[in-house]
Parts: sequence; structure tokens; C-alpha cells
Amino acid sequence: MTLPGSPTPSETVIDARDIRMVYPSSKPGTRGTVAVDGVSFQVRRGEIFGFLGPNGAGKTTTISILTTLLSPTSGAAHIEGLDVRTQSNDVRRKLGLVFQKSTADEELTGRENMVIEAGLYGLSAAEVRDHINDLLAQMDLSQSADRFVKTYSGGMRRRLELAVGLVHRPKLIFLDEPTLGLDPQGRAGFWRYIRHLRESKGLTVFMTTHYLDEADQLCDRIAVIDHGRIIALGTPRELKDSVGGDTLELTVAPGGPDPVAMLKAMPGVSSVTQDGDTYRVKCSNGESLIPKTVLAADQAGIVVSGVTVTKPTLDEVFLHLTGHAYREEGEVGPVTPEADEAAVAAGGR
Amino acid sequence: MLLPAFSLIRREYLRWIRAPTWVISGLMSPILYLLLFGQAFDLGKLLPPGTPAGALSSVLSGAPNYFSYFAVGMVAFASVTAAMFSGTGIIFDKQLGILQRTLSTPISRRSVFLSALTFRGILTLIPAFLVVGFALVLAYVPDVAGLSVGSGVNVLDALQFVAAALVLSIAFTSLFLSFGFAAQRIESYFGVVTILQLPILLTSNAMYPVNIMPAWLQYIVAINPISLAVNVMRMSLFGTAGYPYSVGVYLLGLLAWAVLFVGLAYSLASKALRTDVSPKGSALSEAIAT
Repeated sequence: MTLPGSPTPSETVIDARDIRMVYPSSKPGTRGTVAVDGVSFQVRRGEIFGFLGPNGAGKTTTISILTTLLSPTSGAAHIEGLDVRTQSNDVRRKLGLVFQKSTADEELTGRENMVIEAGLYGLSAAEVRDHINDLLAQMDLSQSADRFVKTYSGGMRRRLELAVGLVHRPKLIFLDEPTLGLDPQGRAGFWRYIRHLRESKGLTVFMTTHYLDEADQLCDRIAVIDHGRIIALGTPRELKDSVGGDTLELTVAPGGPDPVAMLKAMPGVSSVTQDGDTYRVKCSNGESLIPKTVLAADQAGIVVSGVTVTKPTLDEVFLHLTGHAYREEGEVGPVTPEADEAAVAAGGR
Repeated sequence: MLLPAFSLIRREYLRWIRAPTWVISGLMSPILYLLLFGQAFDLGKLLPPGTPAGALSSVLSGAPNYFSYFAVGMVAFASVTAAMFSGTGIIFDKQLGILQRTLSTPISRRSVFLSALTFRGILTLIPAFLVVGFALVLAYVPDVAGLSVGSGVNVLDALQFVAAALVLSIAFTSLFLSFGFAAQRIESYFGVVTILQLPILLTSNAMYPVNIMPAWLQYIVAINPISLAVNVMRMSLFGTAGYPYSVGVYLLGLLAWAVLFVGLAYSLASKALRTDVSPKGSALSEAIAT
């Protein structure tokens, strides 16, 4: 999917071109595991870019390549114009990274973890003292900054991870499943702070998630990844429109005039299907169609007994694109053709 | 420049100082050896009564009594035993993801290796010096054997002693650090270390005089890095009589071992810290893939 206004090189922060990653097989004579299979995308400055896909889709491998922790089997990636393979140390200075699992040292306090992380970037404790206090306050960790991390709750650990990832003031941050294990309140707070950083500091965010609602609400653009390939890329709106937009359901009183012709004449309507007295209308903007439909029906002498609009979810997008339902955490995806067909059948297609 | 490496050392130090059982057990075991084994196992008492003092001294390479002979061996023993824990930190760092976080920062891979070697090397030296201090103090306790040093010991001898302890600690810290870089699990690490522990210690002259051993064993003992270090230390404290080579030769031999082990550790560290995927897989890529 090509977007209107593709990024010009100057505002491109991440540029990935045909990245492939094959983990070699430990058994000789067998094929390796293809984790990432030719992935290309660009991320613009100030954007929140989401990598959405089920577990094992290749999200963490992609992050590891972009953050110089893994060399790709083939392909090229540039961060701020710097090659992740040949200029890896310069790339490391540019980015912050929040891992999927907690990497803070349990035996150290939250503050000590941050000071040591700053030291690894060559920043002295005195240089970053105010910044660390500020980050701790923003992350609601001021009270517990001098307690050992082993006493922290899961939510506090995630917030500390983000604070540690931002200690050297990066303009680009990679978040690998940042809200995994957070309660709804914690997730909301996390999102709020990410948005705040983007607004106030112009931070660019690359994040992976397997929460559909998180990608929908937080990301400016989403790449849907499955089995190591990007199968769709666009804004949440565009992705949802690609499965046919909204569905308006009009229920009429029995015995009245047929509303199909009237509905088809409405702006933005692509199809109308009938199910008894209920008419299902695929359209691009359901909300604005409600008053028009009710008005037109009234003029045509049709008695309306109910109107609802449902938005497509990313779940439907995923099903539409892959032919299999979105695999939730912990589930193993279909690996055999039989299982794939079963998943399609279960998905009702 | 040095701040990144210093930060890693500080992290290791904070972790170490906050695990008091490790600190105490690491320091206590050599002291207990000196107090119990060293006091009980007096080879001199096995000689028939009336044997002239010089006879024992010549068997013990110039040491005035068995405890003095044994105490110097224990300096090396304490160092090597402490070094056996050198590789544990890096394994925990791998398992907890701390190593990956460290490698995502601009710190050089060489600094990661050198800071581990520096901190673990210091930890290895501390028990060695504690043993020396404790053994010297015992000489002033009535009815207890202590370390008595020849009257002619000068600053140069003391420096030789310290140099031998330092090079020995660098050698064994590197050896065990290399196992830490290579191993994925703490169980496999200690499996290897436990197998090596006894042969390394018992094929040295740390506890018994070489000349009571069979000839084939004497050859092995002669090139054991512990023996080389202990020779230098005993020559520094008790005189050089009876040794076929000079202090410099033993020190060079010890240095050769240190160079070998540092090289081994550095190459295994480079392998563990690299980001490309080999057919066998680097430590890092395996941690990411799983």
C-alpha cells in the first residue's frame, strides 16, 4: 500500500530495505528458520510507527536488526542515514531501546540502574542528575527511585525500562511490546507519556505490539507483519477502510417499501445486503450516513426501527489479509496446510 | 573514555557488595584452610625426632617450617578458588538480558571484556592478600604456627611476590571468564569448573614438596601455572637456594600462561558478543531467537 506523501529522505528516521533474517539450523542438512522475509518500510520523524503481528511473526528480530544487536542475513537498514551494520556504534548513540522483558538489575535501585546506563553512553552522573529526576517523576517512580528493583511491581519495572531507555535523551526509541503485563491503567498511562514525548520532544517511536487495540489507538501508521512479511502498511483508518469501511445496519418495520434503491443512492455506499428486515450497508463513513438515511427513509415512507454503525476492527483487517484469525498470545499459529484451512473455516470464510 | 567501563565495574561492585554471603564465604574459606588444614597437617612432625632443622628446610625449599611453606601455597590456592566464580556474572547477565542491554549502548566490546577482567581480577587478588596478612599475624599468636619470613626480604622481593600473585590472578580470572563467555547456563559452567578444580590444585606444589612426587607427576607440576607462581613467591620470601631456574624464568613462564588465557578469554568474549549469526549461533543471537 503506497501512502500519499511518502517520506522525503530528510525526514526519514528509519529506512529498512528488503531485510531478511535466516537463523541457521543447528542440524546439518536442514533448512534454517526464516524469521524475517524481505521487510521494507520507512519511518518518518515524529511518527509513532507500529509493528503489529502475532508472536513469532518476526517483530523482535526486526527490532534487533534495527538496533544493531543482530546482523541481517541480507538487506540494508539505516537509522538517521547511518548503516546499522557498518556504523553500528553511531547508530547506538541515536536510539533508545526498551526490551520485551525487564533488563534492569534487580540488586540495584531504579536510580542506580539509570545512572549506570547513562555512564555506558559516556554521560556522568552529574550531567544527567536533573534529567533522571525528571524522568523518574514523569514515570511516577520518584518515591521508589532509591529502592531495589527487586521490590518493584511489574508495572513499575516497565516504567523504569522506559525511563532507562530515555536516559541519554534519544530522539528515536524502540519499544518491544512495551505494555506486555501492564494493567489497563498502566497501559493508558504509558500511552499518555509516549504521546506526550512525541508532542513535546518530537520523539520518533517504533513499537511492536500484538495488542490490536493498542496499535489502533496509539500508532500513526501500522505495518501488519505475519510469518516474517509485511502484509499491509498504512494508517489504522486506511487499513480498516481496506476491508470495506464501516457497516451500517438498518432495520425497518415489516411490510414497508423496499429501501435498497434508496440506500444504494447514498454517498459512499459500496454494497447493500439484506437479511430479513435488516439491511447491511458497507460504507466509508457510517456516522454521517445515519441522519441522511433516517431522513431519506422518512421521505420514502419507510418506518425505521433501528440504525447501528459498526467500525471494522484490526481483527477483521488481519483476517481479511491473512485468511486466518489473529492468533492470541500463547497460541501456536497454523503450521500445516490442514491447520491453516481449519483456521480459515473457523474464521467463517 | 573510561566512564562506560567504570560504569560496568560499578554495577558489578554494587551487586557483589550486596550479596554478603558470597563476600563472606569467598573470604572465609582460605582463612579456614590456613587455620584448620595448615595447623593440623604439619609435615615436619612426620620426621623422626632429632632430625636437624636444616633437613626439613631443604625438603621445604628453604621454608623454615611446614606452615610457612603451606601458607604461600594457600595464597595461590585462595586466588585460584576465588577465580572460579569469575565467569558467573557474565552468565547471569546473558540470562537476564542485561548483556543485551549493555550491547545496545555504544560501549566498546573490548571495554565489556576489560571491565569484567579488571573487576574479577581484583576480587581474585583480595583473598590472596588476606591469606598473607592472616598467616603473618598467626606468627605472633602463641602455640600457633605462623608464616615466618627470612630476614633478608627486601622491597624487590616483596614486589616479585606481588607480581606473581597479580599475574596468577589475571591468568585464572581469564581462564574462568572464558568459560563464562562460552557457557549458556550456570550448571554447565560449574560442571566444567568442578572437573578442573582438583587437577589444577593437586598437580601443583601448593601443598606438598615436589620431590616426594613420582617423576611423571613432577613434569606436570613443573609447568602448572600455580607452581610457577608459588616458586616465585617462595623464592621471594625464603631464598632461591635449591631451585634450578631463576625467579625471572618462573615469572616468564607464568606470564606465558597469562597471555594464553587472556587470549582465549578475549576470543571467546568476541565470539559471544558479536552480532552476526554463525552456524553454531552466537550467545547473543540464541538469546534473541529463543
